[in-house]
Amino acid sequence: MPPISLHPLATFTPDLYTRAWQSTPHPYLPLLATTHDKTVTVFSLVDFSKHSSLTGGHSRSIRSCAWQPSPSSSSSQSNQSKLRLVTGSFDSTAGIWTYNPSAALEKPITTTNKDDDGGGEDEEEWEFTLVLEGHENELKSLSFSPSGQYLATCSRDKSIWIWEHLTGSEDDEEEEEEDWETVAVLNEHDGDVKTVAFAPQFPTEKKHNGRRYGSDVLASGSYDDTVRMWREDQDGEWTCVGVLGGHEGTRKRRRMGGMKRGRGERGIGGIGGRWGGIPNTMRRSLREEWECKGELPKVHTREIYSVAWSGRTGLVATGGGDGMVVVYEEDGETGRWEVKARVEMAHGPYEINHVVWCRRFDKGVMEGREEEMLVTTGDDGVVRAWEVRMGE
Amino acid sequence: MREVENANPTILNVSQLPSRSRKATKPRQGPDSKCDHIVYSKRPWLCESSSSEEEDLEEEYGEDPVDAQDIYDLISPISDPEHPHTLGQLSVVRLPDIHLTPPPAERRGHSLVTVTVDLTPTINHCSLATVIGLAVRCRLEQALPPNYRVDVRMKDGSHAQDDQVNKQLGDKERVAAALENDTLKGMLDKMLETCV
Repeated sequence: MPPISLHPLATFTPDLYTRAWQSTPHPYLPLLATTHDKTVTVFSLVDFSKHSSLTGGHSRSIRSCAWQPSPSSSSSQSNQSKLRLVTGSFDSTAGIWTYNPSAALEKPITTTNKDDDGGGEDEEEWEFTLVLEGHENELKSLSFSPSGQYLATCSRDKSIWIWEHLTGSEDDEEEEEEDWETVAVLNEHDGDVKTVAFAPQFPTEKKHNGRRYGSDVLASGSYDDTVRMWREDQDGEWTCVGVLGGHEGTRKRRRMGGMKRGRGERGIGGIGGRWGGIPNTMRRSLREEWECKGELPKVHTREIYSVAWSGRTGLVATGGGDGMVVVYEEDGETGRWEVKARVEMAHGPYEINHVVWCRRFDKGVMEGREEEMLVTTGDDGVVRAWEVRMGE
Repeated sequence: MREVENANPTILNVSQLPSRSRKATKPRQGPDSKCDHIVYSKRPWLCESSSSEEEDLEEEYGEDPVDAQDIYDLISPISDPEHPHTLGQLSVVRLPDIHLTPPPAERRGHSLVTVTVDLTPTINHCSLATVIGLAVRCRLEQALPPNYRVDVRMKDGSHAQDDQVNKQLGDKERVAAALENDTLKGMLDKMLETCV
């Protein structure tokens, strides 16, 4: 297999050089949301500049954020223009933000590169519309189901909450009221729930035809050293359908990588330097069988904070406390995972809190081609984009 | 008020604490040390230790690589949350339980340096172990350059809930969230007052 190398592509410069926790790309728009302190900064992926910021909603640090995927293509087009970001904070609440000004919406988000000198109005472009209260302690992670209908939040209080976004009747144009309902509180973990992730869906994916459960599968990783898988059953109850152990030595970060067509899901869990990959056999029995299909070679010398699986290339990237970024690839023949690229001190002496694969929208991409870059977020507050070169 | 869990801890005289300067001049033995408790009796952990610490901080950014004594000097003056003494005096922090990897002689450039501190709480069930550990971690993270990684643990067998405490102290998110908790932050600030 051809070698892979990582090259610095661009740097997103923060307003303040304080720890940044996470950067989340929008599902399809050229926007990237970075959480740091009590703020989220939204960057443009077209020119790597600051697009807008969300401030004033939380009394403690924002740990994570998620873009609501637009309602499925069958629903009204008008809804699609409403950008919605949810933030999870150490103040134990989740905040719902909507991006309002329709005029402003047009300019900076389009993929054509243009200068945005609207300046100064940034702060008002985002409206803090609703607070989701319920958790007793700080929120660690949140994730939307692929349709945008469900939001999962998790906390140090050992629980996972599932919220449903009630969109009301389709033609109810100016339905400004945000309507969110708690549909489940899952208490089966014995420790802090560190991360939740819904499996993404790809258009090619076969529908999960099980009569018992819906197609959305949610994974949660906890301090109790287990990963649990959850689905909604036919009565609308969320049930734990699988428990994955084997992550001795505790660690948190697991992230639902994605689905490869026909091959099931791949979740990757991390443990201070050791890894397991877990594809789903997609049984329809009450208990699903999940099997560890691969383990990433140990490279990191300190805790791994983040893992990202690319649905496009199949590459896996990790980042951690040792400041290293590592890219792995599965050998097609042996099925073993191999280290393909690594960058030491990717954020200088600072720790790397998050890595994510992200579609490129900048001018460096050849027209008509879809390329991905790796985005890393560090304790230095800086967000870096890395170009992935294959076969050099 | 909460009860003091260990009413009679063993307290070391400040002169008994490991120190580079004293070590350099002469090994501590002989009759003079017997008078130390008189000589240094005026709250020495406030004035004496803080001045020596500033020198060490200068050293830290100068030629000399940071060694275990430097780390000790940074954290031994932290006040215990329930006794009017420092962690050094109570032997919660001990010089032989501080390790740096790689050791000073083998370091190159600005590569990562791991500082491991094993704490010995004054009694087995000290509920404040986490707070003490947090104070040590904070102190070191604030004082050391960003290429230092700090691991604070309870010394094997010294604490009844070692695993749980160690897990919390090693958890970046929990530590970050704890520092945003006003009550806890107030407590830490008070403990660290004696360090400045």
